Amino acid sequence: MNPYWGQDFFGFFSVLFRRLTGQLPLDHLASDEVQLLVLMGVALSTVLLGTFLSLKKMTMMANSLSHTTLLGIVISYIIFFTPETDLSVNTGILFLAALISALLTTVLTELARDLLKLQEDAAIGLVFTTLFALGIILVTVFTRNSHIGVEVITGNVDALHPEDIRLVWVTALINFALIGLFFRQWVMTAFDEKLSFSLGVPTRALHYLLMFLTALTLIAAFRAVGVLLVLSFLVGPTLIARQWTHRLTTLLLLGMGFGLFASIFGVALSRHFLSVYHMPLSTGGLVVTLISIIYLVSTVLTFRSSRGLIRS
Amino acid sequence: MNILEVEQLTVNYEKTSVLWDVNFAIPEKKIVGILGPNGAGKSTLLKALLGLVKPLSGHITFFGKPLAQVRKRVGYVPQRSSVDWDFPITAFDLVMMGRYGKMGLLKWASKEDREATRMALEQVEMLPFADRQIGQLSGGQQQRLFIARALVQDADVYLLDEPFAGIDMATEKTLLDLFHALREKGKTLLIVHHNLASTETYFDWLILLNTCLIATGPVSEVFNQQNIWRTYGRSSILLDEAAIKAKNKTSGLL
Amino acid sequence: MTPLIDFFTDPILRPSTVGCMLMCFASALVGVVVFLRKRSLIGETLSHASFPGVVIGVFLSALLIPYSDELVALAILCGAFLFAFLGLIVLNFLENRLQVKADSALCFVLASFFGLGILIASRLQQSYPLWYKQALIFLYGQAATMTNMHVIIYACFSFVILGFILYFYRYLEAVNFDPSFSETLGIRSKRLDDMMFLLIVLAIVVGIRSVGVVLMAGMLIGPAVAARPLTHQLSHHFALAGAFGVASGFLGNYLSVVIPQGAYSLPTGPMILLVSSAFCFLSLLLAPRSGLITRYLRMRRFSFQCAVENALKSLWKGEEKASFPPLIRWQLKRRKWIDPQGHLTGHGKAAAEKIIRLHRLWEVYLVDYMGQKVEKVHRTAEELEHLMSPDLERELTELLHNPQHDPHHQPIPPPLPPLGPT
Repeated sequence: MNPYWGQDFFGFFSVLFRRLTGQLPLDHLASDEVQLLVLMGVALSTVLLGTFLSLKKMTMMANSLSHTTLLGIVISYIIFFTPETDLSVNTGILFLAALISALLTTVLTELARDLLKLQEDAAIGLVFTTLFALGIILVTVFTRNSHIGVEVITGNVDALHPEDIRLVWVTALINFALIGLFFRQWVMTAFDEKLSFSLGVPTRALHYLLMFLTALTLIAAFRAVGVLLVLSFLVGPTLIARQWTHRLTTLLLLGMGFGLFASIFGVALSRHFLSVYHMPLSTGGLVVTLISIIYLVSTVLTFRSSRGLIRS
Repeated sequence: MNILEVEQLTVNYEKTSVLWDVNFAIPEKKIVGILGPNGAGKSTLLKALLGLVKPLSGHITFFGKPLAQVRKRVGYVPQRSSVDWDFPITAFDLVMMGRYGKMGLLKWASKEDREATRMALEQVEMLPFADRQIGQLSGGQQQRLFIARALVQDADVYLLDEPFAGIDMATEKTLLDLFHALREKGKTLLIVHHNLASTETYFDWLILLNTCLIATGPVSEVFNQQNIWRTYGRSSILLDEAAIKAKNKTSGLL
Repeated sequence: MTPLIDFFTDPILRPSTVGCMLMCFASALVGVVVFLRKRSLIGETLSHASFPGVVIGVFLSALLIPYSDELVALAILCGAFLFAFLGLIVLNFLENRLQVKADSALCFVLASFFGLGILIASRLQQSYPLWYKQALIFLYGQAATMTNMHVIIYACFSFVILGFILYFYRYLEAVNFDPSFSETLGIRSKRLDDMMFLLIVLAIVVGIRSVGVVLMAGMLIGPAVAARPLTHQLSHHFALAGAFGVASGFLGNYLSVVIPQGAYSLPTGPMILLVSSAFCFLSLLLAPRSGLITRYLRMRRFSFQCAVENALKSLWKGEEKASFPPLIRWQLKRRKWIDPQGHLTGHGKAAAEKIIRLHRLWEVYLVDYMGQKVEKVHRTAEELEHLMSPDLERELTELLHNPQHDPHHQPIPPPLPPLGPT
């Protein structure tokens, strides 16, 4: 029996608080809590990566990746497929899928740009739509079913199980480790790639690593929240935080804060709508909309004070 | 001892800039001006020297060795416009980037690094601004930050791309004093410059470039009417035409 | 095997085929403008931004209008258009007033609007599952269920776009190349731009029925990309892009039916996109001037030519009759530069002298004009001598006042008479 059943917005937090402090039995996680943990893990990973992607002006490459991961998943399933394979959670497959997607997208986009002399925006647009179309065709051919479904995009929070928590937080750990370890290099290459190269920083390797980590995070998250939410976390919180600070570390922390906030409130609101209005809403959609609203509010609040500044 | 030796450098780069069969050598303790009209390949030369652009042919050595072996001794000060000044870092952070070559891949910033950064900021008179976000500074102040970053690198030869562009007179003086001080310490500077008028005061050695090398050597020998005309006059039209023809036929795969 | 003509006569196949062809034509035309302005990803953002409108359109028509296919389609179109347009406004506001970087703005609008759409759709899912499915059609497109009404809508729309482009062609040319300059000429570029972007939004909205929200970006720019390497003129660009669009629309439908042979059916939208991308790929590879393969072949041909000319020179200089590779020997024979015994012919002598002349002219130029040192110019001239054109030679001769000797004091062979044999 789900302890959150029938709770409204404030009841949600009261139940959560009581379960955290041991007043209510915690023998197994309620689905709301699973959602919460998964969303928070996704938020942390994605805001971290997203800040650097924004600084490098590569967020549309991330969008590109969000589409091509479908192809990566299809290909790795084809490679691994046996009738006994549990198609749901197999970390080896997911890892391989991330690798394939990241490589294919990045390499093909660069080839289109450098070898075929295509302009950057067209190269990105063409490569990811082609790969996505290919992915859909392959899925149709292999499953005889041309209906991919919307779940690739929105995920299915109700079908989550604790395995996903592990997946998402391990990914978060990997992201934090790899970003943290080479933090200075990441900042430098984001700021001035040419100078970094001349100082001996391995800029190309870092570029490919960032793409791979993004693909990995996208894939780890897509079962739970779909690629849509990841995209929103990628750009939104950073944009909000940027209005309040110009320091990089503060930017990251604030961004993650906003991401976590939106996740927690999103789950609470979702429960609220279900209990009070009997409306089952997409939690992913709620969180994304929340982020937009926070951005709106933040813009209004900071717009007035920035009026006087002369922007150079 | 020659700080830098360039042999038969030919670069095909983008649609206009081409370097053709450039040969020169630079002795140490000089402030070298690289001059030429727009599109003559000045920035391309710097980029080729730094390995940012792959030449079609040619041989470049710093201190007798290829760049990869002596990276720490070569400092780069790019054009101000090449950077996004909206980036969320402070002046202090920017200058400290110069230390990253010394810090190695995994180490954190040490006390010495911070001290060195502070001293460099002091030298360019930017210490009061250490905490400002870089976009909130004027053009001259930003240029000084770039120089501070180079100082902190403590290299032996510096390549600067148009450091005197768009700065105020006070900054100009500060930079000149700094450059002279560096030369006294035994450093060599190669500076891409755009203004003919100030050439004799700034530099003691010149590289005159217009797709191919027009002349190189001490200012007193090289800076004369004929060479200037050859560099800036219309004499290279035919060569440019031929260069475009060649580019279409011989290059273009990458 | 379905015969070709069926695609235009069969009442099931025809609306989808003709509809797609028209829709692709329209989006290809506006896509040219999008491509030239380097805003290719705007199609991606706006198509996703239209999604809430689609859902609301479905929702409202479910509530308010008694069931009618046509009215539902219209409601969806209006809703989609409204939200896509709103998306465009927000996009511009973010970039211009809030100083947000272009890519972040695109990604943010995309995710936010789309998220809103998913949220509203989830509300729909429980109470109106059938309508929910209707809304989802727009994610991936469903060309197969197009009706004659769609064909009529697309036909009208294509006419509107074509008319707009033809009428405002001169202005479009100026504005898309250099907006601020056109302003100074008195062309109301802002007004024109607004109209153009309105059409772009419309094209996107109308097109997502066929290829879906996700693939619309590709459909917009694909034909424009394929056409670009083939022409330098804007009018030809429009025409070729339109042609590629129509072809993709047709072939996409054709192949999606023909390939599976009735066992199942391939989704049309992705097929259209793959055909369009195939066109792009082929064009970028094989285009007459800038194609990758064309460039490669040109390079090979030029190095071969240089090798042949160098062989010719060494013969002229009387050097050891080195054994030339058979291919070079064959070319020398073919151009009648050597006789069957391998001796230089009259033609060969003249051709060699032409090269030598050019070489030595360049040497004079480099020394006298560019101030190069005499010892260094030979190498450069070795490269330059192969770049032959009558104009270049004439200009050099005039510029240097027809010199008789090169810097090494070797004589320069005289120019050939104007109509001499080569």
